[in-house]
Amino acid sequence: MFKERPIVIIAYVVCTVMAVLAVTPFFWVLMTALKPDPEINAWPPHILPIAPTLEHFHRILGEENFLRYILNSLIIALCSMTAILFSSSLAGFIFAKYKFPGRGVLFAIILATAIIPLEVYIIPLYLMVFGVRMMNSYLALVFPFVIMTFGVFFMRQVIMSIPDELLEAARIDGANEFWIYVRVVLALSKSGLMALGVFAFSEAWANFIWPLVVVTSKDMYTTELGLATYQRQFFIEYGPISAGAVISILPMLIVFALLRRHIMKGIATSGLRG
Amino acid sequence: MIPKSGNRFSDKIMRKENSDEAPPRGALAARYVDFRDSIKRDHLLWVVLALGPIFALFCIIRVYPILETIRLSFYRYHPTQRNRPFVGLDNYWRLLEDDSFRTALTNTLQFCVMAVIITLTLAFLVAVLLRSIEKAAPVYELLLYIPVVTPWVPASVIWKWIFDPIHGILNYGLSFLGIPKLAWLQDEHVIIYAIVLVSVWKMLGYFVVVYGVGLRNIPDELLEAAELDGATAWQRLIYIVIPMMKPIILFTVIIATIIFFNVFAPVYVLTASAQGAPAYDFKVVIGEIYQNAFVFYRMGYAGAQSVALLIFVLMLVMIQFALFRDRRGRADV
Repeated sequence: MFKERPIVIIAYVVCTVMAVLAVTPFFWVLMTALKPDPEINAWPPHILPIAPTLEHFHRILGEENFLRYILNSLIIALCSMTAILFSSSLAGFIFAKYKFPGRGVLFAIILATAIIPLEVYIIPLYLMVFGVRMMNSYLALVFPFVIMTFGVFFMRQVIMSIPDELLEAARIDGANEFWIYVRVVLALSKSGLMALGVFAFSEAWANFIWPLVVVTSKDMYTTELGLATYQRQFFIEYGPISAGAVISILPMLIVFALLRRHIMKGIATSGLRG
Repeated sequence: MIPKSGNRFSDKIMRKENSDEAPPRGALAARYVDFRDSIKRDHLLWVVLALGPIFALFCIIRVYPILETIRLSFYRYHPTQRNRPFVGLDNYWRLLEDDSFRTALTNTLQFCVMAVIITLTLAFLVAVLLRSIEKAAPVYELLLYIPVVTPWVPASVIWKWIFDPIHGILNYGLSFLGIPKLAWLQDEHVIIYAIVLVSVWKMLGYFVVVYGVGLRNIPDELLEAAELDGATAWQRLIYIVIPMMKPIILFTVIIATIIFFNVFAPVYVLTASAQGAPAYDFKVVIGEIYQNAFVFYRMGYAGAQSVALLIFVLMLVMIQFALFRDRRGRADV
């Protein structure tokens, strides 16, 4: 855009500084997690651990039961992701490719709630779970995250770009609508599904206030809740806490590293947030 | 949002079949036949079977809770007490006199304004500069995006240790600049900057990528033509780039305001006491809703606070719609 030499130099300097600032905290937490206790509180701080150790990881995964929390988070995030991918793609397909009475109204209702944050209507959700005595269960933890309004909108955009002729050709070959959904629509919107999948997974994984509200016993803690509660103890040790933070970030980073191209494309087409 | 008929082929086939039937009498009958065919053509049964359950679920976990929140705000409501009297607008009058809600609102607004302005300005600057180094840009965008995919809780936990007043690396770094140690999370005047810092760090990458998409859509010819006419880089930025980015900037202002106004997890983590040093209890709106609803079980009152939040969000959305209306006609939304 601006090819003047001084601007290019400024661009490299500013962007490098920003990128370094963005990743430094991750570097620091990893270093803290690997340092033995006396080194953590050393002043002035060492940058690299002198005697790196995995004891904090042992401690957090074993004694503090983080393995269980990670498993809980994984179950919730995977269930939520599957449900959202299915519901969003099916609803998106219907809204994109069929004409039926009330279509505009239904779509407008769905779209209207897209921007309203969960925190606004969390009380009735809680009362529903409370009313059917489902507190502290996986079902309760997953249930607000089985559909995503934005996902319906996003998949509709993706599926609208599939040419009608393809669906029609399948129909002429005698395919019914469900078969078309599975074999044509899903097959042709893989990239969009992946972007939405990552987004749905991370939304469910990262949510904090909902588990905080419906979980009542430690064995149902999610990673986020476990981490937040653990660091609230009166006397915290930063070694295990940092190890916990590293462990809880890792799955997101792996998913992001593997699917970054789809995610970036998703943002480009619709402002998808990760 | 004009419904688009997706079936050019079947339209033709159907029309052929229709012509074999008895010719419709009168306009009404013709319309009935059309209607019946359009349903057959568009597989109404399949639409109902596929969309029905999803829409029902959507009503149960989105529409009903939103309406129920509004209803609750007119009641005194405790989940385990049978007596739930209708109190009219009492919860709302109480809201106006509640000092801690007022503090929370002021804090949240202050935080929100700072976070939005700093995040978006920095993001815009970085995004524009990245367009000058097009080849390296994807690497930078990727690095800046890592904090975005990091959930709020571990992000805040990481920063809590950086903010530590005695052992924290931030104070250590600042000591080289001759800045004395700050009690980032303990001092009531400083903690807001700590939370702003975490939030800007977390969300910057998202807005850099969004701006990047918008900037790439500005035709190069336009900028080159301006350059040939002798426009400086500054002039091109002010007279071409910023005006063309205006809709995206407005969009990001609304989105960022909603994201930052809902701040909760970082506050929950950062205001918890650390190593026996009590952190300052920084109040925010979601924190108040959480406390009233799930710590004190004053659900009617918390409902009124939620409705206040809902109104705030809807106002922002309406502003966005008002500003975008002339563009909507062209955009396919």
